[in-house]
Amino acid sequence: MPANTTYLAHHFESLEKQTYAARLGMWLFLATEVLLFTALFAGYGVYRYLYPEAFREASRGLETWIGFVNTLVLVTSSFTVAMGLERATRGDGRGTRLLFGASILLAVLFLGLKAVEYTHHFHAGELPGRFYTSDAVQGPGGPIFFALYFLITGLHAIHVVIGMTVLAVIGWRAGRGAYAAEYHVPVELGALYWHLVDLIWIFVFPLIYLI
Amino acid sequence: MAAHGNASTAEHAGVPHHSHVGRYVVVWIVLLVLTVSTWAIAKVHLPGPLHILVALVIAIAKGALVALFFMHLYDQQGANRLVFATSLVFVALLVGLTLSDYATRYPLAKPPGSEGALPAPDYAPPPTSRTH
Repeated sequence: MPANTTYLAHHFESLEKQTYAARLGMWLFLATEVLLFTALFAGYGVYRYLYPEAFREASRGLETWIGFVNTLVLVTSSFTVAMGLERATRGDGRGTRLLFGASILLAVLFLGLKAVEYTHHFHAGELPGRFYTSDAVQGPGGPIFFALYFLITGLHAIHVVIGMTVLAVIGWRAGRGAYAAEYHVPVELGALYWHLVDLIWIFVFPLIYLI
Repeated sequence: MAAHGNASTAEHAGVPHHSHVGRYVVVWIVLLVLTVSTWAIAKVHLPGPLHILVALVIAIAKGALVALFFMHLYDQQGANRLVFATSLVFVALLVGLTLSDYATRYPLAKPPGSEGALPAPDYAPPPTSRTH
């Protein structure tokens, strides 16, 4: 019996078709994730259009350097995940575990900086809707900006936590030799999820912090 | 575990045998450079819509690099690209149609305090005592 049949589920004709199906399924899921965030981005677009001055002022009050450093951190974690997948294609499960572990540490740094930022907003009263007590921005634009700010970055942070869990489980399994050079689909799909989290942040950063 | 498998299976599944390390490193460095430049450009004063335009163009370039090379859309079969491209079409529809709705509204239909709306001098900020 060829080695690759051990990974083959009985309802697939070949490992090749199984891999195609798994990838396509993952991409369909990622498409729904893109649309989930798009709804929030559309809301952001509408209110930014309605309250341009308030959004500019509120955005100026953010700690731009934290968003900037977090972008560098997340891009780097995406790189280490890509390298982890590269190790998996060579059958080096321990290498994958090490690189996924590095990505998780970078994600912890990302969330830590986010926590610093959130703490600052809580103390400054920069909170959504009627909880907005800061007098930095006058009118209804400020509370709306921070509602969208917390929704977008909060939903993204939830995705970071889910992604860390996925990387931890798959990295741990890879280190124990659960995958091999000819079968590493879970590593690939976990990496895809992490890259999507990075991809979304790439758009969050300029929209929330820079403009 | 199967350490030595059928190498041709991996190849057919879209995993090439040559290394991707060099490509990953280049993409990573370009992403870092683009991040630094978008941050630096944001500090420069640009006229009106140019600001958001430059920021979005750089973000789209970075996103394309991630999707094409980190997520391997560049060297995978067409179905995955089609799924992702379709999601981008719906992104354009959702954002584009919603914004064009708001951009073409009669001033009275705009919420108070917003740009272009009729003045609302009696607007009072929401009560602030709830958080304390």
